[in-house]
Amino acid sequence: MKHLLNKEWRLAASPLSYIFLIAALMTMLPGYPILVGAFFICFGIFHSFQNTRETNDTLYSALLPVSREDIVRAKFLFTAVLQMIGFAIASILTAVRMTLLSTALPYVNNAMMNATPLYLAFMLIIFCAFNLLFVGGFFKTAYKIGLPFLAFGIAALLLISLAETLHHLPGLAFLNAPAGEGLALQFGLLAAAAVLYILATILACHIAKIRFARLDL
Amino acid sequence: MSILEVKNLTKRYPSFLLDGVTFSLETGRIMGFIGRNGAGKTTTIKSIFRLVHPDAGDIRVFGLDMNTHEHEIKQRIGYAGGAVDFYKHKRIRDMVAVTRRFYDNWDDADYHRYLSLFSIDEAKTPLELSEGMRVKLSLTLALSHHAELLILDEPTSGLDPVSRAELSDVFLYLKNQGVSILFSTHVTSDLEKCADDIAYIAKGRLIAAEPLQTFLETSAAAGCGATLDDIMVHYEKERLL
Repeated sequence: MKHLLNKEWRLAASPLSYIFLIAALMTMLPGYPILVGAFFICFGIFHSFQNTRETNDTLYSALLPVSREDIVRAKFLFTAVLQMIGFAIASILTAVRMTLLSTALPYVNNAMMNATPLYLAFMLIIFCAFNLLFVGGFFKTAYKIGLPFLAFGIAALLLISLAETLHHLPGLAFLNAPAGEGLALQFGLLAAAAVLYILATILACHIAKIRFARLDL
Repeated sequence: MSILEVKNLTKRYPSFLLDGVTFSLETGRIMGFIGRNGAGKTTTIKSIFRLVHPDAGDIRVFGLDMNTHEHEIKQRIGYAGGAVDFYKHKRIRDMVAVTRRFYDNWDDADYHRYLSLFSIDEAKTPLELSEGMRVKLSLTLALSHHAELLILDEPTSGLDPVSRAELSDVFLYLKNQGVSILFSTHVTSDLEKCADDIAYIAKGRLIAAEPLQTFLETSAAAGCGATLDDIMVHYEKERLL
């Protein structure tokens, strides 16, 4: 597996996948739907799958002395590592906003989603959607990337809209509060999202392995 | 001893049927796998590598079932499918640095020997090489891990006559080292110098699988022609009538 992962980093990955990790810095933007950063991180990873197709990486990998299951696992591992780097950056910045910058005027008067545990939870759910709809969808054919990305794009748009709407609904303002009693629930939701992310990624990987095993290359 | 056995290999596509292909390759021999374009050579080779899933048939390499011993078998075989078509924008050196790690028997000395023999500059990218040079690169990669069996799909297409002759010499050298080679081509003149056996496929069905000399003699006796080219043309015309 480590050799396959090495291949992902050195041959299959697009530099844009690394560059788009910068989108995690959107966590610091006031007055902006910061969850779009999670979408952009996934968009960066999408470029590596585009590269996979354009460099015939799938056929190259299938000819190596590795199993098809490991090829799929390596793609998911590559994806998850990048997502976790983006998530770690966003988590650090969220902690900064919630503590050191908690009284900064642009954040106090922010009408959009704040950087909170719920924001991080939604970030993980967007990653779930990417892994299930895009990465899982990619392995239906191992070359079509348009439709799976469109499906993910729609799901991400709906999730971002939901996240930006929830705290405007009566009685749900606490979901956007970076402090106070609502925080415990937000941390609970973050933990649930983390479990969901792990389960969804394992499920997506399992489905992708079945799909890829059946493919004629 | 058979190093490669293909039995009753069948694969159905909407517009093509690979129909019960059966042949075997003995250790230390070179088999030319001939047939016109679209005859089923690549489908057969892809089936051997499990790149496509046959509807029926049995494939054994080194006496092992590819379905259950894929990793072990792939360590011991080399594949070249014409020109290198992978990572065209990456430097050859970088591509090899990744590839070599997958093979327990990767031999850097052999790798550099073939680079030198084929005059390949590893600082270049495949995109900077001609079609023929990319074929040579593909062969270099296939030859550098001490493969006991080489499966080559149209390796000489795009090569100039001198390179093709060089390649025939390389194949004969490898054969003397005990390497077996299955070599698909529609350029039959490449085989006359180095092949021991012939497997001839037409429209998805195997016409013959026997020693080259036997194939030439029986075909000549049947009035099908004296050379592989003549025999192929004769059979293909007959099938069209």
